[in-house]
Amino acid sequence: MKREHEDAGRMGGDDPMAMGPEIAKGKMVPVMRTGDEMECGVDELLAALGYKVRASDMADVAQKLAQLEVAMSSDDASHLPQLAADTVHYDPSDLYAWLDSMLSELNAPPCAQLLPPTATASRGNGHSSTAAKPSAAAPPRASALHDFKPVVSAASVGRVVCDTEQQSEKILSPRDPKRMRTCSSSSSSSSAKEVASSLKSATEALPVVVVDTQETGVRLVHALLASAEAVQQENLKAADALLKQISMLAASQSGPMRKVAGYFAEALARRIYRHSPLPQADRVALDLLHSHFYESAPYLKFAHFTANQAILEAFTSFRQVHVIDFGLKQGMQWPALLQALALRPGGPPSFRLTGIGPPQPDNSDALQEVGWKLSMLAESIGIDFHFRGFVASSLADLEPQMLLEPEGKRRDRDGVEEAVAVNSVMELHQLLARPGAMEKVLGTVRALRPRIVTVVEEEANHNGRTFLERFTEALHYYSSMFDSLENGGDSGADGELEEQQRHRAMADAYLGRQICNVVASEGTDRTERHETLGRWRGRMAQAGFEPVHLGSNAFKQASMLLALYAGGDGFRVEEAEGCLTLGWHTRPLIATSAWRVGPAADFAL
Amino acid sequence: MMMLLLPHREEEEEGGAAGRRRFPINDNADLLAEVLGRLDGRSLAVAGCVCRLWSAVGRREAVWEAVCHRHVAVGRAGAAGGTRSVVAALGGYRRLYRLCIGPALDRLAGVRRQGPAVSSSSSAARHVSLSLALSLFSIDCYERLGGVGGRQQQPPASLLFLCKPVDVS
Repeated sequence: MKREHEDAGRMGGDDPMAMGPEIAKGKMVPVMRTGDEMECGVDELLAALGYKVRASDMADVAQKLAQLEVAMSSDDASHLPQLAADTVHYDPSDLYAWLDSMLSELNAPPCAQLLPPTATASRGNGHSSTAAKPSAAAPPRASALHDFKPVVSAASVGRVVCDTEQQSEKILSPRDPKRMRTCSSSSSSSSAKEVASSLKSATEALPVVVVDTQETGVRLVHALLASAEAVQQENLKAADALLKQISMLAASQSGPMRKVAGYFAEALARRIYRHSPLPQADRVALDLLHSHFYESAPYLKFAHFTANQAILEAFTSFRQVHVIDFGLKQGMQWPALLQALALRPGGPPSFRLTGIGPPQPDNSDALQEVGWKLSMLAESIGIDFHFRGFVASSLADLEPQMLLEPEGKRRDRDGVEEAVAVNSVMELHQLLARPGAMEKVLGTVRALRPRIVTVVEEEANHNGRTFLERFTEALHYYSSMFDSLENGGDSGADGELEEQQRHRAMADAYLGRQICNVVASEGTDRTERHETLGRWRGRMAQAGFEPVHLGSNAFKQASMLLALYAGGDGFRVEEAEGCLTLGWHTRPLIATSAWRVGPAADFAL
Repeated sequence: MMMLLLPHREEEEEGGAAGRRRFPINDNADLLAEVLGRLDGRSLAVAGCVCRLWSAVGRREAVWEAVCHRHVAVGRAGAAGGTRSVVAALGGYRRLYRLCIGPALDRLAGVRRQGPAVSSSSSAARHVSLSLALSLFSIDCYERLGGVGGRQQQPPASLLFLCKPVDVS
């Protein structure tokens, strides 16, 4: 999808007639600027953008812009060169007259149906649902333009908002066009920017945002970003004032947006008031949350299935295999692998599992319980199973000898060493909190000489250098995540099983803890340091690993699994240079990659 | 619907109506099993309500094994005997169908009903493979294993995503 944002830049500010094929539908948002002159009878907020539109004409303006878009998009490009070459200059700020002239030129056909509004910048606000109501939403939209209320906010707040809008627009724009594709209506947000930027003078880099019927959603996002920026600038009073606004706005939202706003607001509050970070909930509770997250969304299942497929393929023809799991938790990944090994042609191998887990507060041995359950399962399906549990508060405490002892690598009767696989599902990013830990762990992994290393990580950049960067990224990521949880199950119309709702509530809490960690913690406490696949690739390559392509079998299995989820088409499995990612609509959220030790043997351990 | 002779004994007619010999299906349970094995899951379950014999035959693992294999994509030709023992250990073909394959097929049929506007990228994936079904089955079986010392277990929920919600309003 072409980047309207960049097109806007290219088009420059002085050619009002060079419109792209997608033109704004009169969706202008109140930019909260103060101190702009108010012309009598002219809408104050649009005046801030440089448009002079009489309040009485607002409905007509909206309608005409819609007609214009239909006219321009329905005809082929034949009109556009004509328009571009047209040298007649109209005063662009007189929107009403200009539109009139455009329309009379094009002789737009009477279009009975106004195009539906899109849920644009209000991320995660169930945009799948808004796409379904075309004509019903059109009249409210016109009236919404009349409902502009000047936002009561301090001048400082207004300014803060503007600045963050600038930054946020840059970040939003690559995403928004992609989001638009999934809605049935055409994009307007980026084109609105295009219109505005092409009509604005070059000095004023006023960003434009789009309004739709859910303007509070947009305001909510802006308030969140403004608050985050205030926090970054240590302007705690402004941040606090914004927080109150946020909670008010959040109450007006529903569904995933409300939850996201709630969690982020809470996390910001923790950061501002320097509450102690969330108490380390005992591991039992954390495990419970984790297992509910496992059940309510396909991400973890996807991770397990794809990693298992890679491990299975790496283990072909080995009679002794050893899997080291960096985060055993409930061991939900391994029944499927055991079953697959039992059914592989040639018979099952002898299977050893080393599970690593954090120390338990009540001295109960959770690892042994999991190992026991797995061994019961393995015995029933006829696999020779051995288990070893390792308690370690951090992966960096592990040494290769510990993992392979007591007899080192086993050898089968032909003297062939056992095949070792290292599996890490969302564990590695936590090592980034302490300098040097990552390198040590990767060195340990390399020393084990594994046949395959499977790494599953969240596909997000929550480890940026500035707080605002992290906050914005996290807002995007978790909005998509919550949206997928909400809409990925059965469409809420039929109602959900009560149990599923309970699972989702727990899954929400699980994600809420992550949000709190990303936003409110710093230093070694901030363990949710997600990074993008590109950075992980670089890191693994630097540590001496080379990528293993996940085959088409893994892709097929993942696609089949996702086809079973009722939310169906929202989820996307994609392949990128041998790694598989699962995402919600166009946003990848989790990525699986596989590695093996590279040929270069001269890396210092 | 199959046309079956009434399952009650009739006197054999010799040279009677067109010389056909009637064959009460209930006399031969194996034949009945063969026939029932060609049904789909729902019909087979319904057939199990006909009479005690049909119920007993309809519960045979071999019958459900045939049903399962008929409805899943044929993967690599694995050792059939090995599959049988593994499935038996995990709970049997009937359970496999009831928990995994049946709901999965229903889900896919529902998706297909929603229309061809559905994305085509995974159209090839709109069937259930035996390996996927077995993976899900094994996870469910694992969840049902009791913990040490009989600790309070969470009800197994890994297959909830396949369940259809019932509107109880």
